[in-house]
Amino acid sequence: MAMKAKEEKRGRLSRVLQKDFTPYLVFSIPLIFLVIFLVWPLLTTLVRAFLPAGRTFSLGPFSLANFERFSTSNLYQGSLRNSFIISFSVVFFTLLIGVPMGYFVARVKMPFKRLILSLGILPVIMPSFVGAFSWVLLLGRQGFARSYINMFLGMFGMELPSIYGLFGIIFTMTLTYYPFVFLLSYGAFEAVNPLLEEAAMLMGAKRKRILRTITLPLVIPSVGAGAILVFIRAMGNFGIPAMLGGDQYVLPTLIYFRVNGFWDINGASAIALVSVAITGGALLLQKFIISKREYETISASRSENELHSHPVIRIVATVYCGIILLVSLAPQITMFVMSFFTRWGSSGPEGFTLANYTRIPTIASRPILNSLFLATTASLLCAILGCLIAYITERRRPKGAIILDLAIMAPFILPGTVVSVALISGFGGDSWLPLTGTFAIILVAYVIRRTPYVFRSVVASLSQLDPTLEEASMIAGASWLYTFRRVSFPLILPGIISGTILTFATLLQELSTTILLYSSGTRTLPIQIWGAVADGKFGEASALSTLLVLVVFIVVYGMNRFLGQSISSSFKTG
Amino acid sequence: MSSSISYKDVKKTFTGSQVVHALKKVSFKIEPGELFCLLGPSGCGKTTLLRCTAGLESLTSGRIFYDETDVTTIPPFRRNIGMVFQSFALYPHMNVFENVAYGLRVRGVDESTVKSKVTQIMDLVGLPDVLERNPSPTALSGGQQQRVAVARALVYDPQILLLDEPLANLDAKLRRHMRAEIRRIQKITNVTTIFVTHDQEEAMAIGDRLAIMRDGLIEQIGSSDEIYHNPNNAFVSNFIGKMNFFSGQITSTQGERYTVKLGKEDYTMSFTPKVAPDVAVSEGDRVTVGFRPEHLKIKPVSTNGEMQGRVRIIQHLGQVIRYEVVIEEQGQERTIEIDMLGLVRGVGEGDLIAIEFPEQVGFLFAEGGED
Repeated sequence: MAMKAKEEKRGRLSRVLQKDFTPYLVFSIPLIFLVIFLVWPLLTTLVRAFLPAGRTFSLGPFSLANFERFSTSNLYQGSLRNSFIISFSVVFFTLLIGVPMGYFVARVKMPFKRLILSLGILPVIMPSFVGAFSWVLLLGRQGFARSYINMFLGMFGMELPSIYGLFGIIFTMTLTYYPFVFLLSYGAFEAVNPLLEEAAMLMGAKRKRILRTITLPLVIPSVGAGAILVFIRAMGNFGIPAMLGGDQYVLPTLIYFRVNGFWDINGASAIALVSVAITGGALLLQKFIISKREYETISASRSENELHSHPVIRIVATVYCGIILLVSLAPQITMFVMSFFTRWGSSGPEGFTLANYTRIPTIASRPILNSLFLATTASLLCAILGCLIAYITERRRPKGAIILDLAIMAPFILPGTVVSVALISGFGGDSWLPLTGTFAIILVAYVIRRTPYVFRSVVASLSQLDPTLEEASMIAGASWLYTFRRVSFPLILPGIISGTILTFATLLQELSTTILLYSSGTRTLPIQIWGAVADGKFGEASALSTLLVLVVFIVVYGMNRFLGQSISSSFKTG
Repeated sequence: MSSSISYKDVKKTFTGSQVVHALKKVSFKIEPGELFCLLGPSGCGKTTLLRCTAGLESLTSGRIFYDETDVTTIPPFRRNIGMVFQSFALYPHMNVFENVAYGLRVRGVDESTVKSKVTQIMDLVGLPDVLERNPSPTALSGGQQQRVAVARALVYDPQILLLDEPLANLDAKLRRHMRAEIRRIQKITNVTTIFVTHDQEEAMAIGDRLAIMRDGLIEQIGSSDEIYHNPNNAFVSNFIGKMNFFSGQITSTQGERYTVKLGKEDYTMSFTPKVAPDVAVSEGDRVTVGFRPEHLKIKPVSTNGEMQGRVRIIQHLGQVIRYEVVIEEQGQERTIEIDMLGLVRGVGEGDLIAIEFPEQVGFLFAEGGED
């Protein structure tokens, strides 16, 4: 009996020694990275939220003082209230705009569909704070469009509210985020199997009834997912409320205020925790209410003659989509025009000049280089990390893969300011690894926040990859590393590339994380634009924004041409 | 070069959301150069056994030997084996030549040898001219992909070739052609081969020997002839060829001759059956009696004391005509199949007929266990 046990043990030992350890060594890299740069900062944030202001990181004495401000301070209560009002209103208005638009483009026979889909995505790829300041030019106190609108509204005894404050924030955010709802509901309306609707029609249901009883219930999961995405984005957006908030604060700007105004990391941690709780709650809501109603929609191609073709519907749909696009792209157009002028007066741009562009090399070459360096390096790191973690969770399925899954996706929902606060509290001057003020901390923030893009993209490619392709390679005598190099990697490369390019494009315009982490030496292009707007140098800000938007657009468009996808599909992952 | 494969008490249990005992206790040996078929219904463990043989799954307990070498813990890429997958698993990002050359290049073989070996193996599998155009494998037909997959698995002279339902993705006619091709190639290379399939006709046609599996256990091993004529139990008898079952009770035995009471109408018959090893029969025991469709005959209804049934469907299958006959047994209807060499005059669908039992053939199995 004892001998048998011994033999068993020896067998197990030899089994362990015969294994190929390369995968374990390779996989430990992302794990260590995640523990140091994600778990540790989040833990310190959690602890510091319960420490009184001014105390450095320690395990006690704990208090709820930081949270009590939510019941005592008007500023805190106002911020929380504003965050909720804004997020819910933005969700409401994006649904109001996006769902009909998705329906029209999917179901009505109308021209320029591809163009509408491509232009529809633009507001999401553009830096949202650029949109915000353009709206100031248009609808601000001396705004170009404001007087005309007021003239029109005046007939009904109304007046356009100030662009500074809740109205402006909700207005700008709605126009920034409606593409999520539009594209997701477009996809859902497209994907509903026409046979289901035809079946209802054969059973005698009229078009309206089919829409109500068949089509809408089938698209609700996608539309709901879009709504949650918008909610989370609206909750976490820093640029728009910072630019348009005036004296109205929201949670992200409140965090900025605590850090920049008081250097109160503990207080900021508490606010961060509250905002994480809210986004977490939103996600849970999605998981338990919406994903339960997810249906398998078997896509079948929709033939032209099933589309609405009544002329009235076609005109309404085309005009509707045209107006929405025009309004949502107005800031980009304004910005472009403004970049060639010195001032924006009440009757339009004044003083044509090219100086805004010719000055760029002298005033902004450093931030541009910084942005390019940070975005490139971070994208490559994201690619490696996202690729490895996707491979582990998809192929190895180790015990606890779900934790890894959650860990990698967590920063996806964390507002940028929250990630910054976590990194400051984990790697501040008093930490074992002081990183504040360096490029490294910005890089870490970028990598942590954007790895999910690559991760998702690679997971999608891997799930399409038949595991027997890899098994066939092992059978043929190839080790894990050889198999990965020659078989797995080349086949998932398109997924890695599209995830990485998307990451690069979004990092170039990153503001909400950088704003708390940059120092004089690590200013980025968006920070420079932000500063120019704050100083009232709209011409300079417009020229820099145009440059930024141009680069982002070229990169994304180039990728889509290269990989043969449409721009809109690369944003479906969020 | 080609080696034997021995399994010693091989067990494999999948733990996960639910525990599955895929292989319960499997021990047997495959001889060098043999073309061995693993046959069984889906979920019987045949693919698991193949994957364990390849090292793609680790065993829960037990040992696997190639010749005298214990390979139980050796990872697949150190085993020198070839495998053809059901999906073929050809690499879409490589052309045909690169696909076939893969295993050679992994082994660091110099390029001139790679070239000659690939050309040689493509000749053997009957695709000599595909290398001229050398397209992506996705541009090939199913049958050609199949041949490329076989070539890729054989090009580096493996000790063992494993085929996981390799014909499942082909249409019926091509399947019959390819199974002859696989047998031809296997006999030329003489590599020990395991062929997994759920198609009994395929297994009987291709295998030197076969193993019938059920629920993680091996029910019987032997040549198709042995298994067809001497099945170990009712399940095997019905899996290799069709078997009609009747429940019965032994009323008397006399040497090798048994008298059995069958069916509801207490039809009594005596015959000299093959007695399966799983049944010890004595007077009064309940048993399952089995007859192959070609053993039974249809005759017009005449006197009492015969088993009667109603013809449900008459199928013309070419060399035989199959009568599906519904009989009643213990209050339940069941269908039996009777193959006749020609049409029985005056019998049509829906007619009542009598079944004629043979006296010299038939099988006795333990009660139950037909499926």
